[in-house]
Amino acid sequence: MPMYTVRPFHRAAGAVLAEHWPACMYRVPSLHRRLSPDASPTPQEEVDPVLQALESRQEEILKRLYELKSAVDGLSKMIQTPDADFDVTNIIQTDECSPSTTSGADLDLMLGKDYGALKDIVINANPSLPPLSLLVLHSLLCERYKILSAVHTHSSVKSVPENLLKCFGEQPKKQPRHEYQLGFTLIWKDVPKPQMKFSVQTMCPIEGEGNIARFLFSLFGHKYSAVTSTLIDSWVDTAIFQLKEGSSKEKGAVLRSMNAALGKASWLGGSELTVADVVAWCALQQTGGAGAAPDNVQKWMKSCENLAPFSSVMKLLK
Amino acid sequence: MPSAAGRGQGQDQDHRPDSKESAAADDYAKERYGVSSMIQSQEKPDRVLIRIKDLTVEKADEVVWVRGRIHTSRAKGKQCFLVLRQQQFNIQALVAVGQHASKQMVKFAANINKESIVDVEGVVRKAYQKIGGCTQQDVELHVQRIYVISLAEPRLPLQLDDAVRPEVEGEEDGRATVNQDTRLDNRVIDLRTSTSQAIFCLQSGICQLFRETLIRKGFVEIQTPKIISAASEGGANVFTVSYFKSSAYLAQSPQLYKQMCICADFEKVFCVGPVFRAEDSNTHRHLTEFVGLDIEMAFNYHYHEVVDEIADTLVQIFKGLQERFQTEIQTVSKQFPCEPFKFLEPTLRLEYCEAVAMLREAGVEMGDEEDLSTPNEKLLGRLVKEKYDTDFYILDKYPLAVRPFYTMPDPVNPKNSNSYDMFMRGEEILSGAQRIHDPQLLTERAQHHGIDLEKIKAYIDSFRFGAPPHAGGGIGLERVTMLYLGLHNVRQTSMFPRDPKRLTP
Repeated sequence: MPMYTVRPFHRAAGAVLAEHWPACMYRVPSLHRRLSPDASPTPQEEVDPVLQALESRQEEILKRLYELKSAVDGLSKMIQTPDADFDVTNIIQTDECSPSTTSGADLDLMLGKDYGALKDIVINANPSLPPLSLLVLHSLLCERYKILSAVHTHSSVKSVPENLLKCFGEQPKKQPRHEYQLGFTLIWKDVPKPQMKFSVQTMCPIEGEGNIARFLFSLFGHKYSAVTSTLIDSWVDTAIFQLKEGSSKEKGAVLRSMNAALGKASWLGGSELTVADVVAWCALQQTGGAGAAPDNVQKWMKSCENLAPFSSVMKLLK
Repeated sequence: MPSAAGRGQGQDQDHRPDSKESAAADDYAKERYGVSSMIQSQEKPDRVLIRIKDLTVEKADEVVWVRGRIHTSRAKGKQCFLVLRQQQFNIQALVAVGQHASKQMVKFAANINKESIVDVEGVVRKAYQKIGGCTQQDVELHVQRIYVISLAEPRLPLQLDDAVRPEVEGEEDGRATVNQDTRLDNRVIDLRTSTSQAIFCLQSGICQLFRETLIRKGFVEIQTPKIISAASEGGANVFTVSYFKSSAYLAQSPQLYKQMCICADFEKVFCVGPVFRAEDSNTHRHLTEFVGLDIEMAFNYHYHEVVDEIADTLVQIFKGLQERFQTEIQTVSKQFPCEPFKFLEPTLRLEYCEAVAMLREAGVEMGDEEDLSTPNEKLLGRLVKEKYDTDFYILDKYPLAVRPFYTMPDPVNPKNSNSYDMFMRGEEILSGAQRIHDPQLLTERAQHHGIDLEKIKAYIDSFRFGAPPHAGGGIGLERVTMLYLGLHNVRQTSMFPRDPKRLTP
């Protein structure tokens, strides 16, 4: 039988001859050395700190689980009993519009963990009915974040007016894609309603201009009290369903209540510009009811138009 | 043409002895049918032949001459229904015993073999009800004369009706379809089907639109040699041919020549021509010979100038197809139903790392510098489609490690490269990159890849006398056709496909 010589794998001392340790392995203390007589006390007596840490972690997790369970139990009890004392004070604890210090990290918090890709918000909209409020929100977002904006035309539409293709204006100097915090991709497409897609894996598409506007506005990270949030939400719905799509009678009623609200505060949501103002202003612009609006509404519209994002969208209407 | 008909009558009798008595009987229409003598260009009659697709209600009650193939024939007592076909159009023709046709004539018409070419004179009549199964649904042709121009053999290797039948899942009614090999073995007949006609009309359209668009953009069409002395990419996958006393190779890409044209200051060039790959892969999308649509272009400062130009060319092609070839697209989708091709303008451009992130989000485990596997490519296509609703997109910035040696590395991240692939319905159709135009760097990269510098000396030398920065790419025509139409095999879109197992017809 033909044989060949091999160099010994172990030296006399037992050290392995390999010159480079493979990177995929890790060192283990020698199993044999433990058994030698002068070894440290037997492992049974000494509790391994790693094990201890593991145990305490388990305890902690169990404790949190119990806490969660009791919280869920409490909630379900509350929901199941129809007139449970709903403690409103508990919920209105958040400050009226806490100053937000949003950065990329908070975006991660709001939009969920990602795998390093550009967080791209895709909005499909019909060029015959441009969602102006989303364009205003886009420019507002641009003041806050580094946004990579893009406009595309889908093959389902034949032609898109030139001004809509340039609705984001001149793009600043291009940077590598991954340096942007957010992507904003507007696709002119033959869709009955504006549609937004963000993460196709974890999120279903959002439909309707008002709903998308709410989502975009939430990216600013403003915190409102439950009452203010409800107010803002209701103004958004009013603007979309009554001001934009409603009959002239409904429109008149909305304008009157807007007038009343704007008599008390400078913006629909109170002292600050919110998504309600954006959506309502755009609805008014698109329905062409701006001229007949009452005084306070007129004044409010002026103050909207003084803001750059609104005035740039005005140009699209012409 | 009474003389021809007379002669034809004689031949006809040779064919079918049972009709002997017909001569004896009083055949008042014997001048009106028969097998015409072979056309050897003996005369130039003034007869105008009308195209079948032009036979519409406006032509009602006109007497017309038509040349077509017998698509089907069905005799029923004193009448015979024929379907005459011309390319993808067909019309029903009726031969009925009456003033113009005798019993014998009806019998003759009913016995003409399918696929024979005939000249027919007839009156266009409005149909009382729509004729299903014909493209000309509102009219039919009442035949007055019929002459066989070229007779087909009675047995056909495959039936055209079977060849256009959509493949129903689960063998619903068990009706015959024709398998791929039978089709390819009898390609001439298979190509007559309305589906094949439409596919290749559309393919010609792609070529035409490619040329049109690029010429409008100021490109110059070049012709490159296909017999070359050295393999352009190191030596794998090339066919060797004997070349007098030595051997030569068949070009696996016109790349070297495209680049030489750029170095020769043509600035923007393209070529359309065969490309050979000696890859023994029997897949639905590999051929050993295919038509390459190749582009190479010098740019000013950034290779995206070229990417945008190529992507726009493809978008113009898609738009052109949508406008000019709607009938063909519909015809193909009757047999192979598929969603219409969707795209964005300008084309969506994603980066490789984003694609990897999207795949990881979908649960795929892969390394940063790993190439996309075919299933991952498809999955990515689905993910992109779901989010952006486009069947066409660009993937930019591939890892340097998975690209050929002449690819320009990324200026910021040395692990990336200035290279891109373009995808249609989740399958790659174009691969391209900014090429290294600096001989020094090119040498280094070649050495890094362990390529014998001697073999690519000519390539490197072409950049020694000043070379503009340039980028380009190559598109596979068959793949573009296949994916645009949503077909599943590239052999369907290659007229006479060549693969490791097929060299004929």
